[in-house]
Amino acid sequence: MENDGRRKFLGVCLAGASAAAAAAVVYPVFRYLAPRSDQQGSNKIEFAESDLPAGEAKFFEYAGSSAVLVKTSAGAVVALSAVCTHLGCIVQWEKDKQDFLCPCHAGRYTPDGTVVSGPPPRPLAKIPVSVANGKITVG
Amino acid sequence: MALIKRLYNWLDLRIGAKEIVEQELTGYLLPKNINEWYSLGSVLLVIFTLQVVTGLLLLVYYVPDAEKAFKSVTYIMNELPYGWLIRLCHAVGSNMMVAVLIMHMLSTLFMKSYKSPRELNWLTGFMLFTLVQGISLTGYLLPWSQLSFWATTVATNSAAAIPVVGPYLVEFLRGSKLVGPATLGRFFALHVGVIPAVIAGLIGAHLFCLKRTGISTPPFGANTETGTHWSPEHYRYESHPGGIPFFPNYALQDLTSISVYFAVFLAVVFFAPNLLFTPDAFVPANAFQTPAHIKPEWYFLANYQTLKIFPSELLGLSVQAAAMTFLALLPFIDRSPERNPFKRPLFLACFFGGFLLWVGLSVWGHYS
Amino acid sequence: MMMRIKFPRTLLATAAVLLGVGLFCGSARAEQPETVCIQCHGSLPDRLGAPVKLWRTSVHAENGISCNACHGGDPKDAADAMNRSRGFLGAPKEADIPAFCGRCHPGVLKDYLASAHGRALGKGGPTCVTCHTNHAVQRASLTIINEKTCSRCHSFERARVIRDAMQQTEGSIVSIDRRIKTYQSQGVDTERLGKSLFAVRNRFHSLFHEVSVTKVQGESAQINGELAKLDRDLKVIEETRAKRKVVGGIVVAGALILAILFHLLKKTYDEK
Repeated sequence: MENDGRRKFLGVCLAGASAAAAAAVVYPVFRYLAPRSDQQGSNKIEFAESDLPAGEAKFFEYAGSSAVLVKTSAGAVVALSAVCTHLGCIVQWEKDKQDFLCPCHAGRYTPDGTVVSGPPPRPLAKIPVSVANGKITVG
Repeated sequence: MALIKRLYNWLDLRIGAKEIVEQELTGYLLPKNINEWYSLGSVLLVIFTLQVVTGLLLLVYYVPDAEKAFKSVTYIMNELPYGWLIRLCHAVGSNMMVAVLIMHMLSTLFMKSYKSPRELNWLTGFMLFTLVQGISLTGYLLPWSQLSFWATTVATNSAAAIPVVGPYLVEFLRGSKLVGPATLGRFFALHVGVIPAVIAGLIGAHLFCLKRTGISTPPFGANTETGTHWSPEHYRYESHPGGIPFFPNYALQDLTSISVYFAVFLAVVFFAPNLLFTPDAFVPANAFQTPAHIKPEWYFLANYQTLKIFPSELLGLSVQAAAMTFLALLPFIDRSPERNPFKRPLFLACFFGGFLLWVGLSVWGHYS
Repeated sequence: MMMRIKFPRTLLATAAVLLGVGLFCGSARAEQPETVCIQCHGSLPDRLGAPVKLWRTSVHAENGISCNACHGGDPKDAADAMNRSRGFLGAPKEADIPAFCGRCHPGVLKDYLASAHGRALGKGGPTCVTCHTNHAVQRASLTIINEKTCSRCHSFERARVIRDAMQQTEGSIVSIDRRIKTYQSQGVDTERLGKSLFAVRNRFHSLFHEVSVTKVQGESAQINGELAKLDRDLKVIEETRAKRKVVGGIVVAGALILAILFHLLKKTYDEK
């Protein structure tokens, strides 16, 4: 059965070659569809200090997610992730109460991100921020 | 191996897999003198699948908006990892699909497999041919480059030669007086939605006809009858007792042909993609600037040249329409049962004459 | 009313021409209907007809800049084409030439006026047309600085030093430009590279009217640095493309190997 041996050998070769071909198809397609890391780079973002009056909040996109910048009535500038730590809704700034409210399940945070009430398990994540020469730099 | 056998057994007990395999694969017998040309249909199926897959991948990033289309294609080609590969595969693949389809039709013509009872195979195939031309034409506009914009302007404009309704037909095709954002919208819908669905349906019909009539016997080779023995009184499946099984023999031929196709296709993708792209393909569409020497794609060059050589566009268009109708209805016109081309010198002369005429017109169109 | 209808159309045509120039950098000739200026002067003899022939060879003609763009007047009205009330300017006096050209080339005018050439304007110094000629003006290049032209007024020594300092830069700008254009025509996104080359080239061209040797040498060195950066970027593109060819070779060979294996396997069944 010379044919049987030959067939077995060719079958093994073909299986190997087909696996290589499949890898050569899957890898480019995966790379093509994979989210791009450079789009989520944590570049620094600058705001003019005059754009943010005391007691106000400013929402912006940071590192591919939502973030918020607050100047407390005392004048301190805080940058936080705006994503609620409960289920990931975006918190809202309540100017009259000077706190954050998550509209999904009424989680409340202080302007520096500490949980006041409601279901959130953790405070809002802090983002580094610095103020110099009338400019607020986030990141 | 044992595991696969057990799984196969398990499946067989439930859905009768062995019976299907016996009937459709190992027991599906093909004519003994079957040749390589019969594998082109399988190659075309693979090409169409590849076009669908690469097309879906392009859809992930392509934006069908006149303001953004060119930029999104540039982004795919330059910024995305392997975006260039997927885009080139789609663009080169469309040309390959037309080329292989023409080869498939030429082999069918030469071996006269279109003759009764296979009129429907030929007709569905012919419709697929025009649809593939249509999907190529509509897809050509989507990158919104100078090349695609002006090629579409010229192509849609030829419909204006039709009497009475011509000018309105052109406007209807374009969705506006001139090619513009409205044209992109409808061509996009046709290219990614309507035409692929119709093509898929027709492929189903084409394969259904093939399964019901059976594979035709090549009209040459030793000890073979070369005439059709079909009598129009009753339905008969053309079986090939003692022929070679589809699986594994002819399936391996299909795979060989598909691999050879891929070698040619990938060689073009990697080494000569600019066969298809003139520099105008990389300049964004500009409605105020017609580039010099705008030419249609190679498979439309013969049509283009025909329009040019006749004194009136209507005449040129009519000649093309007549030629296409003649080809489409060939099985009803050529009714002689003899299928060996070498026993039909007049047919043979027409076959080669027509092919050379088409090639000649294309070359003339390219250089004119 | 007539003027109002006409105006936007000319504006549109001009915009289209300018756009075309910007996009194609003179590769496509802008097509324009003949103006009455050319219809008339084109057939006139000697002094009155010669400018038309010279203009046809110029960079202005190539970019669709016709007589009226410089000389004013109405190019559509034969009877009143040269009426002062239609904005006809005629030919400028020698001392007015720089201002005349500077209407469209303000940056060059500034460089020129600041240079020794410009400071000598009206005191026997050269004007634009002395070196660039008038109607047959060509795209400026270093070849304008040559012994024949310069030594009409002064010795060539200093001019030669300046030209030699700029020669290498000019050469690399031309070659980088050619490489960018080649890649662009093959589908590489060269927008960023093209823009930086454009900026470098402008910076370099502002040196053309500078006659101080040290300044030319210093600036040229900086510009060469910028060009070296562009050259590195282009090398990266070249290497990527070379790598793709290698991968392509492997992939095509793989497909051929598959074809051979399938064919051999098929033969084992045929021999039965």
